Amino acid sequence: MKRPPNAQEHEEKLKKRRIIQQEEEKQKLGCEAEFHNLNQDMLFEILKHVDAPTLAKASCVNKKWQKTSNDERLWEMVCTRHWVNIGCPEEQVRSVVLAFGGFRLLHSLYLRPVLKATALSQYQSSTIPNKWGKDEVHLSLSLLSIRYYEMMDCNYKGRKKF
Amino acid sequence: MKREHNSSSSVVTEMGGSGKNKMFEEQQQDAGFDELLAVLGYKVRSSDMAEVASKLEQLEMAMSVSNSNNTSFEEDGLLSQLSSQTVHYNPSDLSSWLQSMLTEINPTTPSPSSNHPITDNSELGPSVFDDLRAIPGNAICSSTPNEELGPGPERKRLKLLGSVTESTRPVVLVDSQETGIRLVHTLLACAEAVQEQNLQLAESLCKQIGFLAVSQAGAMRKVATYFAEALACRIFRFYPQESLDSPSLSELLELHFYESCPYLKFAHFTANQAILEAFQGENHVHVIDFSMKQGIQWPALIQALALRPGGPPTFRLTAIGPPQADNTDALQQVGLRLAQLAETVHIEFEYRGFVASSLADIDASMLNLRANEAVAVNSVFELHRLLARPGAIDKVLKSIKSMSPKIVTIVEQEANHNGLVFLDRFTESLHYYSTLFDSLEGCGTSSEDDQVMSEVYLGKQISNVVACEGVERVERHETLSQWRVRLGSAGFSPVHLGSNAFKQASMLLSLFGGVAGYRVEENQGCLMLGWHTRPLIATSAWQLGSVAHS
Repeated sequence: MKRPPNAQEHEEKLKKRRIIQQEEEKQKLGCEAEFHNLNQDMLFEILKHVDAPTLAKASCVNKKWQKTSNDERLWEMVCTRHWVNIGCPEEQVRSVVLAFGGFRLLHSLYLRPVLKATALSQYQSSTIPNKWGKDEVHLSLSLLSIRYYEMMDCNYKGRKKF
Repeated sequence: MKREHNSSSSVVTEMGGSGKNKMFEEQQQDAGFDELLAVLGYKVRSSDMAEVASKLEQLEMAMSVSNSNNTSFEEDGLLSQLSSQTVHYNPSDLSSWLQSMLTEINPTTPSPSSNHPITDNSELGPSVFDDLRAIPGNAICSSTPNEELGPGPERKRLKLLGSVTESTRPVVLVDSQETGIRLVHTLLACAEAVQEQNLQLAESLCKQIGFLAVSQAGAMRKVATYFAEALACRIFRFYPQESLDSPSLSELLELHFYESCPYLKFAHFTANQAILEAFQGENHVHVIDFSMKQGIQWPALIQALALRPGGPPTFRLTAIGPPQADNTDALQQVGLRLAQLAETVHIEFEYRGFVASSLADIDASMLNLRANEAVAVNSVFELHRLLARPGAIDKVLKSIKSMSPKIVTIVEQEANHNGLVFLDRFTESLHYYSTLFDSLEGCGTSSEDDQVMSEVYLGKQISNVVACEGVERVERHETLSQWRVRLGSAGFSPVHLGSNAFKQASMLLSLFGGVAGYRVEENQGCLMLGWHTRPLIATSAWQLGSVAHS
């Protein structure tokens, strides 16, 4: 994290206060001022700090939010935040993953199920651990590449993916 | 478990259903009331089940016949009579209640004692019972509970004929557990008959297998059907021609097999891991693939090479595949797709495809090997085919050696289906494919399509093992220990697959629903994937090196 947590919390509080003020103003004006009228960049900044389920939920709010939440950079942060150093530079990983379908797809189709399945088999709990090991990451990346390959051939489309 | 008690047709047709199975297990265990019916409020003694069933049948027949005769319920039909005029005493005692209703309908109908089939049903018309008679009595529960199994197939045959000529209507009850055992015994007896060239006996046993198989559910039924078919092919000398199958069909089937269960994925992932580890530090790598098919093993390797710490190498892939029936260059198409994929991740990729009807036709000199590259040879379920022709395997192993590979990855089925005695091969393959089919059933993540096609894929292998001989029989699987001996004496030494491969394999399996069933085992450096206690496929890696042999 670049800033100390207190300053960050403070900033978020400020933001929220501003938003509430805005709402109140707009209500006074009689408009339907809602949280979702938030500035795109502001939203992006906020979403940088949330976890995967929250990010996914955010994309269900409305079209604007969906556009912002589906940004690959946000999902890249979600993925790389937890995974242990897999040995190669970020740009390399980024170019490969983006070529094969992106971080959001990687996370939802493979990372999350793999992590859940390993957590279930090893610790008998379905909560995803905080540190994602090399093997989980490599397996998910492999499965993503296979999916990309399968999708190249139109015969493969519409199959259950794994 | 839902039962329609007054619909006897469900009693008749529910052969081998799990409900029935439980019923008869309880019959053997306690002589009291049937538990399942008791829950619903009916008191039926387990020993009276057969009787109750037949009474229900009669009653339904009577009702349906009378319904067809009457056009409206206002007329004095059986149903209205039963509902409004008959006095019902103690309906929970099914046996006597049914009896009272039956005597209402027809005062002359005798009360049947247990297990004696009904002979006189002239009032209700004979035509209704004909279809039931067609079912041979022996496949369905016999009247003598303790029959001898195994020796005595002739005795079974005679009993079959005997029950038909008595023109009795057998009570249709099935003990699916007992028929399961009988099924296996019949299969083995049939195979033995085939081996002894007693084809008449084999034929009749084959038919019996068909009937017995119907009484089973799920995997056992499918396996038995495929084996019965294969035996029939062998008996009637209608050998399934593998060469007639277009390679695209077999590839399509294999694709479904790939999706429905983890065996092929396991094979690819472990082989790729071994190749990756062998290629560490190399800048030019060359993989020679004997089992290209759709090339689905390679995207993962290309991705892993792209994310290699230290940068990716140049990747060369040589594929060797069988000739296509429809003149399309499938190998070339696969190559184009892989090239496209490699391009998206900026890997220098070179591809060459060779068409050869047998691996033995390929020589190292054809492959244009370069001095600075590291070579890997990969074979997934291909080497065993070479055992059909004498000398082929040795030639291929020799040419592999001349390629000076850094690593050779071999995946094969873990079973001995290449014994000299037919009966041994049959027994082995019966166990192997039963386990394989069980695992397909157990793995709940696949779609219907995938599962069915995978079964067809395996069914073809079964036909080949059982029905073909000589050069046509290509599914000559051998166990890992046999391959070890063979490769050792050819001059290869084993490379241990590391813990990375093991971990990745276990993780892959945890994704497949049937976690409880699949097992990864390590066997002297080789990995084996199996279902419960039975290993089914084995991955091994080899390198050139001398092995001391006597």
